[in-house]
Amino acid sequence: MDLNLPVAYTLRVGVAIGAALAAIGLGIWAAQGFDSSTALSNYTLGNILEAALTGNASGIVYLGIVVLIATPVVRVMLSLVYFFAEKDVKYVGITAVVLAMLLFALFSGRIA
Amino acid sequence: MLIVTGVMVLEIFLVSIFAGLVGALFGLGGGIIIIPFLTLVEGVPVQLAVGASLVSVVATSSSSAATYVHDRLTNLRLGMFLEIGTVAGAITGAFLAGFFQGPNQAILFILFGALLVYAAAVMLAGRKQDSPPAVQPDGLASTLKLSGDYPDSATGVRTEYSVSRAPHTLGLSYIAGIVSALLGVGGGIIQVPTMNLVSKVPMKAASATSNFMIGVTAAASASVYFLRGQVDFLLAAPLMIGVIAGASIGTRLMRSTPPLRIKLLFAILLLVIAADMILQGVTRYR
Repeated sequence: MDLNLPVAYTLRVGVAIGAALAAIGLGIWAAQGFDSSTALSNYTLGNILEAALTGNASGIVYLGIVVLIATPVVRVMLSLVYFFAEKDVKYVGITAVVLAMLLFALFSGRIA
Repeated sequence: MLIVTGVMVLEIFLVSIFAGLVGALFGLGGGIIIIPFLTLVEGVPVQLAVGASLVSVVATSSSSAATYVHDRLTNLRLGMFLEIGTVAGAITGAFLAGFFQGPNQAILFILFGALLVYAAAVMLAGRKQDSPPAVQPDGLASTLKLSGDYPDSATGVRTEYSVSRAPHTLGLSYIAGIVSALLGVGGGIIQVPTMNLVSKVPMKAASATSNFMIGVTAAASASVYFLRGQVDFLLAAPLMIGVIAGASIGTRLMRSTPPLRIKLLFAILLLVIAADMILQGVTRYR
């Protein structure tokens, strides 16, 4: 097994979904006469999903941004699983440390 | 309240194609182009410009990395090893941010600019050689199997390389993480010269590996801006689409450009960015 292809596909798919949602959102915004008065001001995941499902332009773009931001994180998780399966102890350690710091940063909101 | 018009969206889209191209080719996020454009040309407040720019850095990095990883230009092991440094640095930088405001931040801009001038000078002096042959890997690089190789489609040669001074490059990655958290730019701009000059990684592999790494730190930073409500959907959407289009041009240029040309262009780009950093420092100090 080779890590290159799964990593490349993960990144490719994440970016494609993010960009497609951004394009759809922009299209709806333009079709509705460039009106941004219905834009979300409170971005919780629930709000974003609800707005996106009702065809709200900003909700759809924000959903794309969430997918995009999650992509590198998923890539690190995938690498961790790969090294674990390969029993490559050193790299399990390295990726686990990176993932732990990354999750700490994401959830503590300390990186600015 | 920022009002984004259709014309602005179109302008942002066009400029972001260029930013994505430059970012993909040189291993940078492209924030160095996007942030000044949004603030100076479009009149976007700095916080919103940085928030949208960080989202686009994730897009540039992930889309170009997808191609480079597929082409085996990226050194996955080296990237993951150095991510320990950049992510730890970014967290440290966030804690230090309170101290580096005002004059302190201005001095940091000037010091960082001077460091980039030095890196550019070393690169220009060594512009005839991408990376020296027969580099002796250090103990850590051997243990972690950091050596790599990549097929260069511009020269048709399979380039093999070893990584030297891995601990030094890890340390400098940590500093790159701190600086990017404190100044909002500068992950890739430190990372690429460090890999090439200190660890003797060939330019193309250094740029591809840098692109692979910066997505991770940018994602963490972008999420903070996003949760604070500092990512405007009308700024982020055209940026995302534009940089992805630009990155696909940049990755194609990478295939056809000889490594030494990339090194020379990178050194020139470094000088321009260094001048901008020093200027920003001087204006902020006043």
